[in-house]
This record gives sequence, C-alpha cells and structure tokens, in this order.
Amino acid sequence: MSVKKIAIVGNPNVGKSVLFNILTKQYVNVSNYPGTTVEVSRGKMSINGIEYEVIDTPGMYSFLSITEEEKVARRILFNEKPDIVIHVVDAKNLERMLSLTLQLIEAELPVMLVLNIMDEAQKNGVIIDARILEKELKVPVVEAVSIIGKGIKELKDRIEAYGNRL
Amino acid sequence: MAIDYKGPVEYSIEIAIERICALLNASYFISKRSVALLILQDDKETEEMVVANEGEAVDKIREVVKETKSHFANAITYELALERQAEVKSIVDKAVKIKKESIGTRERLSRLTMNPLTGIPILLFVLYWGLYKFVGQFGAGTVVNFIEGTLFEKYFNPFIANLIIKIVPWEVLQGLFVGEYGIITLGLRYAVALILPIVTFFFIVFSVIEDTGYLPRLAMLIDRTFKKIGLSGRAVIPMVLGFGCATMATMVTRTLPTKRERIIATMLLSLAVPCSAQMGVILALLGGNPKAMLIWAGIVGLIFLFVGYLTSKILPGERPSFYMEVPPLRMPSVSNVITKTFARVKWYFIEILPLFLLASIFIWLGMLLHIFDFIVGLLKTPVELIGLPPEASTAFLFGFFRRDYGAAGLYDLNKHGLLNGTQLVVSCVALTLFLPCIAQFLMNIKERGWKTGLGISVFILFFSFTAAYIVNFILTKFGVIL
Repeated sequence: MSVKKIAIVGNPNVGKSVLFNILTKQYVNVSNYPGTTVEVSRGKMSINGIEYEVIDTPGMYSFLSITEEEKVARRILFNEKPDIVIHVVDAKNLERMLSLTLQLIEAELPVMLVLNIMDEAQKNGVIIDARILEKELKVPVVEAVSIIGKGIKELKDRIEAYGNRL
Repeated sequence: MAIDYKGPVEYSIEIAIERICALLNASYFISKRSVALLILQDDKETEEMVVANEGEAVDKIREVVKETKSHFANAITYELALERQAEVKSIVDKAVKIKKESIGTRERLSRLTMNPLTGIPILLFVLYWGLYKFVGQFGAGTVVNFIEGTLFEKYFNPFIANLIIKIVPWEVLQGLFVGEYGIITLGLRYAVALILPIVTFFFIVFSVIEDTGYLPRLAMLIDRTFKKIGLSGRAVIPMVLGFGCATMATMVTRTLPTKRERIIATMLLSLAVPCSAQMGVILALLGGNPKAMLIWAGIVGLIFLFVGYLTSKILPGERPSFYMEVPPLRMPSVSNVITKTFARVKWYFIEILPLFLLASIFIWLGMLLHIFDFIVGLLKTPVELIGLPPEASTAFLFGFFRRDYGAAGLYDLNKHGLLNGTQLVVSCVALTLFLPCIAQFLMNIKERGWKTGLGISVFILFFSFTAAYIVNFILTKFGVIL
C-alpha cells in the first residue's frame, strides 16, 4: 500500500508550520507574520503503524491564486492528489477563513478543518461550537492549540479514522 | 455541500457552471464544478490545464465564459466572493458566539506601533536598544573583544602558532596555517571569533522581533514611504528579513503580488540592505563613532529611497495595492526563539566556515604564485580613487565573494588603526552597496532570471563604486572630520 499524503493548507500565519513541526517532529522556520513559508516542506509521520507523508505549504487566501507562493500551495493540491487536506484556520478569525474551507469542499477535496489558536479565540471571547460547524460543513472539525500540543492527539485519531474511510 | 450561486436567472453563474461542466470531459483531481468556477474567474493555470486536456471543447467553454461575463457588471470573482461570504456568515451565525469586549492593552499597544506619531519613536527605540546597543555595542563590542581579543589573540593563536611551527618544518606551509592570512589565524578567527558571535546576537534580536508580530506593524507604518518607491507595505517583510540574510529575503519576495515589486525589492535587497553579518561588523566598526554611523545610515537610507524611486519610474507595471493581515502581538516563546536562532546560526556557520577557510588557501596559493599581489595591485587604483589605503584592496577583493568576509577584513584594518573616520564611512558605504555575495547572486538569477539577475549585479558594481567616490569627494572637500 502506498504512503498516504496529507497536505496542510490555510491562510498565512495560522500555524501550519507549527502543526507540521509537531506532526513530523521536524523543524521548519516559524514566525509571527504572514509569509514565513515560501517553499514546500515534506516530512513523515506515523499513526499506529500507518505511514503518512505530510506536506507543509505556503499560505493561501483563496483558491484563486494571486501571488507566487499561493500558486505553489495550490499546485500541491492539484498535482500531488493528497489523501487528506488539513485546512488550518485561526479560530478567532473564523469568519474570514471559512471561505477557503468552502472552496476546498466545493472542489471535493478530502478536507479536515483544524480550528487552531483556540486559546486566543477564547481570550477574545469567540466561542465556537465545533459540532455545529461539523454538521454544517460535513467535514471533520478539530479544535487545537498546536503550539502547546493541545488537540494533536484528537487530530491524529481523526486522521486515522478519516484515512480508513478512503 | 455546494453554494448555490445566484445572479440573473437565465444567465446565472449556476447555469454557466452547468454548461462548462458538461463540456469538461477529462477527469481532474478537483471537482469539475471547481474547475468551471476557476475558469469563469480567468485563472491562468486552470485554463492551461483545461486547454491541455479538452481539445475542441475549449472554444465552446471560452464562449460560455465570455457570455456569462457580459451579464455581470462586476468581476465574477467579486460576485462569487460576495455569495460565498454570505454563506460563511450564515454558518458562523449558527456555530459561533462572540462576546464583545473592550479594547485590551495589547490592542492599544498594537495601535501605538502603527500610528506614525508613536510608531516612529517606537521604531527608533527598537533600533537603538535592539540593534545599536545589544548587537552593536554588547555583541559586536564587548563579546567580540573578549572572544577575539582575549581568547583568540592572547591564548589560542600563539598556542597554535607555536604548535604548527614545531610540527610543520617548512616555513611556506606554516604560513598556510598561521601566517598573516592563515587558515587558523585569519580564516577560523574571522568565522568563529568575529562573525559567529555578531551574527548570533543579531539573530536573537531578530527572532524576538519576528515572533512578537512587530514586522507587519512596521509594514503598516512605512507603507506610505514604500508606495513612493513603487513597493507596497507588504515588501517591508522581505526588506527587514534582508537584514538577516538578503539571500533568504530574496526568496521571500515571492510573497509580493506583482513582478514589478519583486524586481524592485530584489534590486534594493542586493544594493542597499546590509545582511546580518555586514550589519554586525558595520555596527562594530562605527559603534565608537556615532557621527560616522549617522552619516553611513543617512547615505544608505537615501540611496535606498533614491534607487527605489528611480527603479519604480523606469519599470512599467501596475502600482501596488496593499492589504495585509496583522497578526496579534504576542509574547515570543523562548523555546521558539532559541530553536530558530540556533537553526539560523547553524545554517549560516556551516555555509561560511568552509568559504572563509578556502579564502585563506586561495590567498596563500595566490601569494605563492604572485597572482594575489597582481590582483590586489589592479584593485589598488580604484581603491585609492575612493580614498582608501591600498591595504583595503584585499578586503574588497574578497568582499566581492562574501560581503561579510570583506567587512571582517575592514574590521581588522580598523583595529590596527589604518582607517580614519572618513575612510571608515566610505568603505562601509562601499561594502554595504557592493555586489551581493555569490549565494545571493545565484538566488537573484534563480528568482528573477538570467537577464535581470545579471543586470542588477552589473549595475550594483558600478553604482557602489561611484557612490563611494562621491561620498569620499564630498567628505574630503568639505573637510568633514569624523
């Protein structure tokens, strides 16, 4: 059986690279500003003995790409045919980011939504009901604070379950 | 799920999608609906993909796109975005509750950094304490003096020199290791005792600034100035990253939306943005002479604006528009700062150490074959023309390959009292503007193509020399004593 591919996509500065670092136990540069990642990084991860290839992509705002690095991210989706697409969003700016989720779902890509930076969202008084969101979008939704490893276990479980369905 | 796109009934986007989908025969990894939507929005790459896969149907598809567009006053992208946003809103309304809160301290601080009245003093504060005091005086001064002056010159070098002289019988070969330009006494010393501590201190400050989220705020602050020189505030990030490493920053110019901006940014990065190693040594060189430092900063700043302005006038293309997300101000995580600094220092050190050692070998070979004297002799005239002592030729020769090596050479000259204030300023200006290191030269070519990459380099070679000449002329003419 071939190794399953997971692509991490999302708006700039939502923590894609942090998630990548945690999942693959590698280090790619992480900063607090949009556009730190301009190239694609790849790493390996295994969940209960199943191997996955994880691909970290530069940030994209929309499916319709404007800048060079958005094109890089989209090409990954088109050409690499990932088995799972993890869309990472900044939970406190959900409204601005869901549009890309809708586009990914519309493209019939195997999307999972990660509501990242939940701690800052809660601090800002943003309360998200992940189950309602899941029902509305009909894709798995996981809450996380990836910088401290919160939600990673659940994410891995969901990846495994999602992967088995394919 | 799919959003139901509306619009005028007969010519609705939905109908256009249906018609295009019916014309698409090949199989795509993404849904046909998505392909249709992207084509309706004139997406180049998707169009190429469809042209490659569909054959005759392409013309019919183009017809549908044209017809659909003619029924909308606004761009299709805009119409789609509106409807999508409405859909998002209805989902968010169901799943998200927001408790309104008053503006916190963070938000207040964030606004202060972006307001010119308070933002510029904050910027100066960061530059003064972060760069000048911490990197320049403490890192490049106190720490380097200890490692270079005490550890290396007093203990390590004499020890190694004695050792080599004992075990290596030939004087010529001794020179290779411990001579004036020896692998150990010069190459290793430059790399380990000078550049390494300076760069480490710089990267620490840099990582902290990065992780607080200050950079995008800086971008907002200087957006207006940048617009004048044909760049959007977005370009501030690659520019500021250029102070870390211009080569990496050139790669980050990919985040700029227009080709025009990317070229201007590459140009400025190569010319007027000193990288961390240069910056550190320049801070160390001019640290004891605030007047000279101000003149240097003023000249480089002016050149930055002037060349940017000129380039933007010469280059045709759309004016930049600016939008950028401003991430929250955050307390940097100590572990990320350490990991990041370490990763950068390691990457940097691994890159320069062999080069610095190799330089010693080349100089040694060159001296043996008398080529070295010949080349240095050739450079003597231009170097003297900009008012520098002939000894500076070596620094410039190697500054050609690595600006940091050249800068370290100047540091040595200055330590031996061979440069006066004016000469210091002139040589720092020349080295700042000078041709990028080989790595950046290659990156320019990789990112911008042969013609532009080479053109930029040739321009810089002449420009830096001319600028140094003029600076020297003016400073000497007016008898400025620094």
